[in-house]
Amino acid sequence: MNRIRESMEGIRASQELKAGTLRYLERQRSRHRRPIWRRGAFYALTAAACLLIVFGVGWHSLYGMPISYISMDVNPSIELGINRYGRVVAAEAYNEDGWDVLRHLSLKNKPYVQAVGSLLEDEAYQKYLVDNATLVFTIISDSPDVIMEELESLDEGVSYRILTYTSDSHCMEEAHQYEMSFGKYRAYLELTEYDRSVTVEDCHGMSMGEIQDRIEGCRQHEETEHSKNHGGSNTGDGGGNTENGDGNTENRDDYTGGGNGGSHGGHGGHHGGCHGK
Amino acid sequence: MNRAVETHADMVRRICLVHLKNEYDTEDVFQNVFMKYMLYKGSFECDEHEKAWFARVTINACTDWLRSLSRRRWVPLESVLEEGSIPDETSREVLEAVLQLPERYREVIYLFYYEGYSAVEIAGILGKKENTIYTWLSRAKEILRQKLGGEWA
Repeated sequence: MNRIRESMEGIRASQELKAGTLRYLERQRSRHRRPIWRRGAFYALTAAACLLIVFGVGWHSLYGMPISYISMDVNPSIELGINRYGRVVAAEAYNEDGWDVLRHLSLKNKPYVQAVGSLLEDEAYQKYLVDNATLVFTIISDSPDVIMEELESLDEGVSYRILTYTSDSHCMEEAHQYEMSFGKYRAYLELTEYDRSVTVEDCHGMSMGEIQDRIEGCRQHEETEHSKNHGGSNTGDGGGNTENGDGNTENRDDYTGGGNGGSHGGHGGHHGGCHGK
Repeated sequence: MNRAVETHADMVRRICLVHLKNEYDTEDVFQNVFMKYMLYKGSFECDEHEKAWFARVTINACTDWLRSLSRRRWVPLESVLEEGSIPDETSREVLEAVLQLPERYREVIYLFYYEGYSAVEIAGILGKKENTIYTWLSRAKEILRQKLGGEWA
């Protein structure tokens, strides 16, 4: 054996080095076995992410799009936008009292019945629901009957008066031009049929109870005059509004402004009241 | 893979020592060499072919490693020699002299004297001309003769 060979004979790979290398190779081998899977996972994840974005955006736009509206007017005027899943996706106030309530109450994403219930139970809101108050629900929906039915379940045992009406999106657009809820605007239009001198500004300063009282007063006056002139009796439904007589709720379906050919009566009937003024 | 590690680990370890002179880098290069073997798609005609492949790949891996200055970790030669099992003082003296040779001379001396390759085979492993190998061997021997005396090999 030459001296160089002899000098290096003792230099060997330790068992530790060999074992460590085998472990390292095993780890690398398992990584190299997975590229197809990994590529597949990468593509699958990418595709899933794209689908998520596409459907997410789609779902979000569907979810966030209101298809029905409820205007709640006492003195606070609040409008709720309701999506196709029956959840509140928009809550807007149309006067200071409304803003005071919404400032501390989150209604978004709640089922609308629950949201309305939260409002009615809210301390700040309840101070407007005194005994002689009138809470008016005005509904814009393709199926207002369903919403009305749900809302009527909220009136049990309350001391204030609840009225429900329907309206339409055109009326809502006009109402918003006057910065008024479409529920209050509908009442204003009804009042102008009896009293042409009343203005939107007048109604801005009136509570729904006051507007309703004036409508009632005008209607009764008109009926009295009508009876005097014709000598007949009041049938109670000559104005087209029907009181259902079950507790405090009155379902006063579509108000029709005079002279524009709209219809009273059944739920969901077309409301043409926005054009008659 | 176990067989390849058991068969060639010592040679790879020694080539690493000759080139890198420290244990810290050896583990990295050691693993790289066997990683290349694992990924090697070709076949070997015989055991000797496989051994020559390991020698060439290890030398190239060491060279590549040293090219990266950032990876260099300079270790005093004394500490390198303490790492291995050096049988006696004479062997230590010889190994120290070999490790102090220029890199290309260390390679040919190791392959020629330890692994027993011929100059032709070394030329094949290193991808150099035979004459170059003869020249390097001759110069390396001369340096060792001067350091260790006439009876060094």
